[in-house]
Amino acid sequence: MSDLRFFVDPIRCIGCKACMQACSECATHKGKSMIHLEHIERGSSTQTAPMVCMHCDLPTCAAVCPADAIKRTEDGIVQSSQAPRCIGCSNCVNACPFGVPRYYPEIDQMLKCDMCYDRTSIGQKPMCASVCPSEALFYGTLEEFQARRKGTPTNTFQFGAQTITTKVFIVLPEGEIGLDMDVISHMDARFEPDAFDHLDPFAHLEPLPQAQPGLTGGRL
Amino acid sequence: MLKPTGAALPPRRDPPPVPVPGMDVTLDRRGVIWGLIVAALVTLSIYLGSQRFHGFDGALAGYAFATVFAIFGIVYRYVVWLQRPPTRTYWRRGWELFWQPGQRIRNTGLFFKMGWEKLIEQRFIRKRSRGRWLAHQLIFWGCLIAIAITFPLTFGWLRFESDFTNPSDYLIVLFGQRLEFFTFPARSLLGWLIMHGLNVAAVLCLAGIALILGRRIKDQAEIATQRFDNDIMPLILLFAVSVTGMFLTVSNMFIEGKFYYFLTTIHAVTVYLWLLYLPFGKFFHIFQRIANLGVWFYKAAGANGPQAACARCGTEYTSELQRGDLKAMLPELGFDYRHSQVDNWQNLCPGCRRKLMTLNQFAVTGKEFM
Repeated sequence: MSDLRFFVDPIRCIGCKACMQACSECATHKGKSMIHLEHIERGSSTQTAPMVCMHCDLPTCAAVCPADAIKRTEDGIVQSSQAPRCIGCSNCVNACPFGVPRYYPEIDQMLKCDMCYDRTSIGQKPMCASVCPSEALFYGTLEEFQARRKGTPTNTFQFGAQTITTKVFIVLPEGEIGLDMDVISHMDARFEPDAFDHLDPFAHLEPLPQAQPGLTGGRL
Repeated sequence: MLKPTGAALPPRRDPPPVPVPGMDVTLDRRGVIWGLIVAALVTLSIYLGSQRFHGFDGALAGYAFATVFAIFGIVYRYVVWLQRPPTRTYWRRGWELFWQPGQRIRNTGLFFKMGWEKLIEQRFIRKRSRGRWLAHQLIFWGCLIAIAITFPLTFGWLRFESDFTNPSDYLIVLFGQRLEFFTFPARSLLGWLIMHGLNVAAVLCLAGIALILGRRIKDQAEIATQRFDNDIMPLILLFAVSVTGMFLTVSNMFIEGKFYYFLTTIHAVTVYLWLLYLPFGKFFHIFQRIANLGVWFYKAAGANGPQAACARCGTEYTSELQRGDLKAMLPELGFDYRHSQVDNWQNLCPGCRRKLMTLNQFAVTGKEFM
């Protein structure tokens, strides 16, 4: 059996927020949820985007930290900031290419996903992956992953001129070797821009009879 | 006679060198120079402060030497630390902002106010957890009291003498000056507190150590992330220094000075180890934390200046000052985030960066979403 790995497949995210709740129950997170769940474009889409720390091999957050507070342990986990050292400058928050670290002003410290280190360091699943109902967040061996679904797990990302490799894998179609990170609006990521009217999916219907006292006898 | 018949085999090639991670033992030149300068200044202040070693206690010479060495180590590491691009940026910016003409008096006031909040009161730790804050305060004040007494004592700056006119009273001799205006009876509460100052400090430290140790044994998060050299070692050292120091009082007061020389030796050894650990272990955060104040000035200046908007969604998410500094330091650190669409990936807000991973996955797979 090969090593346990983390596979993210945001396409499968259904936005149930179970991961956020579970995340906050992890011992190393102390009641704070470290996972992000973004709405791609609230108001015009239900699609959500979960974001855990990808645990870069060369973490930008650690490189820009002026206080040496972010350490990557031998097992490839980029740890949350060390409490005695973090001086709360938010450099990591702004520099992370994936937008993962978060600054907590009340404790003047950055905290981030550490892949539930109290659990994964003893062979258990991270909280988010253990509750995700659609397996958008999956933790297991490569064999387990391949037995369940198609797709190529890859851990190479291209941010313009910068290539970043990570410990966490993203699921791409067969044959893809890395993900080019383009700046696209949510409309561009959808299939055909003119497939239907994005702005008002009910435009073909008659307007609803609203506030017409005659129809209901003045009472609703 | 056998003769070699040409080259049957191609000439043997040396295998490519295997990169062996070795310990870098070269010393940083600037660090050594600054360390030596400060160590020399401290030595000079010992010489002058003890009136040319007149007030210097030879029995404490080992402590004084170890302290000077620790100060060298602290300065060395601090100078090396300041050479890292992000640290250097913050160091320079912090002083620039602090010394802005017209703001210096206000900034000095703010410096003391924030210094109290962040370094003395340590409000941010209390916000994390009260238990943690209490433990940290106990150790903080224990160490501070101990340093305030022992450093001047071992440097020969401070000693106690009995009053000529009233021999049961004591007075403090500071830099050779008898502080005649402040005499205290040796056998009084005040006298007891002053004479047992180091025991008080040791008790404070031991109480703090007990609280922290309890958390390190029970808390799952601490168990998962703690490291012996970084988290347990400082507790062991502090414990050893506190206990061996209190043994001296026990020997002196209760067992008629038995084992006193043995105990002074082991106490000295534990203190030397603590001082050696000071620049290179966890205690270095004491000196690093001061940068917290510089960062506070930096953030305040950034919040008052122009804000940086996200190139994708237009939200203002940080200061133009910080984004500019970040984009300038990243190439120095070996990162190149230039991007054809938004000039630099660093022009995006963290929220858009998070969304873009999902959006790009959608774009590559050709799947649809509602």
